[in-house]
Amino acid sequence: MGRNGLTEFVPSRQEGGKGVDLNIFLQTSINGLMIGGVYALVAVGLTLIYGVMRIVNFAQGEFVMLGMYASWMLATFLKIGPYPGLFLVGLFMLGIGWLIFKTLINRVVGKPDEVAILLTLGLSTFLQNAILMIFGADYLTVQTTIKDAAFNMAGLSVPYARVIAFLVALLFVGLLSYLLAKTDLGRAMRASAESRDIAILLGINPKFIFTVAFGIGICMAGVAGVLLTPMFYVYPGIGTLFNTTAFVVVVLGGMGSVPGAFLGGLIIGILESLTGTYVSLDLAPIGTFMIFLIVLFLRPSGLFGRSVN
Amino acid sequence: MSKKMKYAVAGFFALLILAFPLLVDNPYIIHTFFMVFLFATMGLGWNLIGGYGAQLSLGHAAFFAVGAYTAVLFVVYKSITPFLGGVVGIVFAVILAIIIGLPSFRLRGPYFTLSTIAAAEIVRTLLLHFQDFTGGANGIPIPFKGENPLFLQFYSKAPYYYLALIMLIAVFLLLRFLEKSKIGRYLAAIREDQDAAESLGIKTHKVKMIALIISAAITAACGVLYAFTVGFIDPDSIAGLSLSIEIAVVVIVGGIGTLWGPIVGAGVVILLTELTNMYLGAMRSGASLMLYGLLLIIVILFKPQGLSALFRKKS
Amino acid sequence: MQGNRCKVFSVLVVVVFLAAMLVGCGGGQGKSAAVTEVKIAFMNPLSGSNVDAGKQDLNAAELAVEDINAAGGIKSLGGAKVKLVVVDTTSDPKQAASVAERILSTDKVAGVVGTGISGLTLPILPVTEKARVSIITNSINDQITAQGYKYAFQITPKGSQFGGTQVDFLKWINEKYKLGITKVAVVYENSGYGVSTAAGIKDIAAKAGLDLVLYEAYPHGFTDASPLVTKIKASGAQALFPIAYTTDAKLIINTMKSMAINPVIIGGGAGFLWPAFSQEMGPAVDGFVSVASWNWDSKSITSNKDLVAVTERYEKKFGTFMTEHAGPTYAAVRVLAEAIDKAGSADPIKVRDALASYNSTSGMAALMQPGGVKYDDKGWNGMVHPVMIQWQDGKPRTVFPEGDATKAFEYKK
Repeated sequence: MGRNGLTEFVPSRQEGGKGVDLNIFLQTSINGLMIGGVYALVAVGLTLIYGVMRIVNFAQGEFVMLGMYASWMLATFLKIGPYPGLFLVGLFMLGIGWLIFKTLINRVVGKPDEVAILLTLGLSTFLQNAILMIFGADYLTVQTTIKDAAFNMAGLSVPYARVIAFLVALLFVGLLSYLLAKTDLGRAMRASAESRDIAILLGINPKFIFTVAFGIGICMAGVAGVLLTPMFYVYPGIGTLFNTTAFVVVVLGGMGSVPGAFLGGLIIGILESLTGTYVSLDLAPIGTFMIFLIVLFLRPSGLFGRSVN
Repeated sequence: MSKKMKYAVAGFFALLILAFPLLVDNPYIIHTFFMVFLFATMGLGWNLIGGYGAQLSLGHAAFFAVGAYTAVLFVVYKSITPFLGGVVGIVFAVILAIIIGLPSFRLRGPYFTLSTIAAAEIVRTLLLHFQDFTGGANGIPIPFKGENPLFLQFYSKAPYYYLALIMLIAVFLLLRFLEKSKIGRYLAAIREDQDAAESLGIKTHKVKMIALIISAAITAACGVLYAFTVGFIDPDSIAGLSLSIEIAVVVIVGGIGTLWGPIVGAGVVILLTELTNMYLGAMRSGASLMLYGLLLIIVILFKPQGLSALFRKKS
Repeated sequence: MQGNRCKVFSVLVVVVFLAAMLVGCGGGQGKSAAVTEVKIAFMNPLSGSNVDAGKQDLNAAELAVEDINAAGGIKSLGGAKVKLVVVDTTSDPKQAASVAERILSTDKVAGVVGTGISGLTLPILPVTEKARVSIITNSINDQITAQGYKYAFQITPKGSQFGGTQVDFLKWINEKYKLGITKVAVVYENSGYGVSTAAGIKDIAAKAGLDLVLYEAYPHGFTDASPLVTKIKASGAQALFPIAYTTDAKLIINTMKSMAINPVIIGGGAGFLWPAFSQEMGPAVDGFVSVASWNWDSKSITSNKDLVAVTERYEKKFGTFMTEHAGPTYAAVRVLAEAIDKAGSADPIKVRDALASYNSTSGMAALMQPGGVKYDDKGWNGMVHPVMIQWQDGKPRTVFPEGDATKAFEYKK
């Protein structure tokens, strides 16, 4: 392909038009699947926090944003790229999670849902604008060595960055599932989710469990952020995008269900992509919201969740 | 403080508020107080469902936008006065409220909140999408062709100030009436314990729906007034989640479920944020909104009943 | 009951106190002393996603003020110096309107220059109209001069004209190089600037017998262009007219690169014209074409040594060629100053009248290629038209229409 727009142009092979072209459908679906993996990661964090301590975290998207800024700072000041820096940012976000839990969340555990919603809403507004004041509203980019390179085969194009994001997200969700299913800590988390009192009777310290769970939830958001930086611009408002999507995913998958959030993320990713291509780009969110409302009204417990109330 | 003294001071304040635009020549300041009145009114409306009804709605921007857009589009396309267009807008908002309320009231807690958010986002996305009709992301500027009271066009900010004040007083009186009426008592019962209220024979869904309808109507009316005062509307500004949050914050900070709460809240929040804008505005935008978030956090953690509770007699 | 009243009371006291502070600190319009300086408000986004354009405008405005004052200021006001009141509108339309309102309430200015972004100019217009202060803008949206505003002046070509120039250019290269292009796609930003320009192309393309296979809006600041590019691919378009600001332009082009899609690209202005574009693309920028409302090396400018002096001074001071935003902003400030001079007063109403009757094809007005500045009864400067530029050696050169071109178009195979 030429360096500029005016070298040989490649007329597309088909007569154009949407609909039946398999190539377009596959391309769209793959785009969606890849990004869905990242949605899943953010949503899993959200659902874990809700599942274990019944806290609706309206600031989850902002922690994704923080992860992105952390990654940008590493890249700009220490010349550490997003992928090498992933581990560092993950640790950093665990720390942030611990701090936020200790100072804010801990005070509202056990209170009615509305309290947590409002608190995290306030936190979300605060974080977004604090970042705005510190870094300004400019769109930042993080350069990576892979830049825009992509796998190109069979007429499909999948950027490396997306594949990596998808795989790493998969990895983290897998690790978490393993943790929950097979380790003592995980079992303790699930016990606390079922009943705080029984957990205490069993000798589990709920506060400790909650802190860890919250930390992990935030960490996942932050890691998702890092994975997104090669693909998205970094700016203070970007959290809102992922926040809304995360909630849709969590409701779809069932609040408190990790496999639900994972599956839900993939579904929503693909759905959004398909709506964007086949209906209209700016109507893409509506497809997502319609599914969201349908699930809310017909089966609020979602695909895998326990029944509401 | 003697009763006579109190009435005198209250009277003085009332006079001050009434005469304010005549004393101060600065349109920006008058506009700020306009916003205080507007948010107080919207807060009172929101309070009906969010406070008395205990259903946290974060989608009220949808009603605001529906009111505003309807009135504006009637002017732009049909040259019909916003007094009529606004009424139609209110009707649309009420219809929207019914559409949202019917399925949503079955949902509890966060699920209800989430559904209001989704509903508002759908409205916003649709407004953005049908851009040939609504102007899309560009928004719609309201052409200013000179002074025209029938179309709410004034050079000075004072008429808008007074209109907002009148609306605030009207809504305040309405709510005071409702608080003491049957609806108000039913809402209180529902807030205490919805299931118990049901078993007592209260049709909870119907009551909540009435509250939502009134709430939507009030919010839509505010939208109409806002649109013509500012002269420009766009989906992101008036149908976005941030507006819904701002309305809720005003009430929560002031005192959710109380009559004076929204008024106190609007006064404190709006004035504080404008002061912040003035002094720290140079330090990039965001200072005032950061304050919003901080206020909300502090109030929730330390004084969930809101600031007006500080001034409540311990009963 | 008594305690309650007393307390509500104290709250009111606090509220009023806050209010008084507001009035004391923010209020009042300063009584200006004898006129030793004339203030002009400069309103543009200096933060947020449009900061790129805003800074270009600011550079130009500051340069213009420097030049005016160096040449003796406003002569009819005893050599009063021009002072620029710099205002950041942010990139949010709601804030832009409220910031404009705040400044006009507290500062007495003779006129306003700005903004360069249609989506931010439109909400400010009701404010300036009500305040009866003229605003000269370099944004291109047609609506600016279609609303009957008496105080709004547009110094640049209109968005609807861009399409004509772009399609004419396509026809020209189609013929010249036998490209046989018949299918075109338009993707545009969902904003004042994008919608205006896109509509223009749609109109003209149909009349020119081109097949418009895709006409798609995208949201400003969108983060993922793959659905859009997938659609472009699916449409079979041979030529693409993208209308975008810098960040989105980069995204679209990079995504097309990574998806190996390669139509002829005819940029829609804005992001395709600015230094940031060339910085981002590096040497690969050469060859890209775009329409522009103004370009520094149009024939009418390069053949006038006073104007060349201005563009060179800009380049020397700010390190890049004088951009499509900077030129008209410079001209706007100079024209405003001349109008103040002609009015013999800093009274915004008198200045407005001077602008309405302004008519010049010489001096700094000639900077607006190819003619000059004369506002019609709707406030639009009818003496201008857009041009096509091509990036060559890292700079945009005017290549079309042939009357304005100073460099030949280079077709790369």
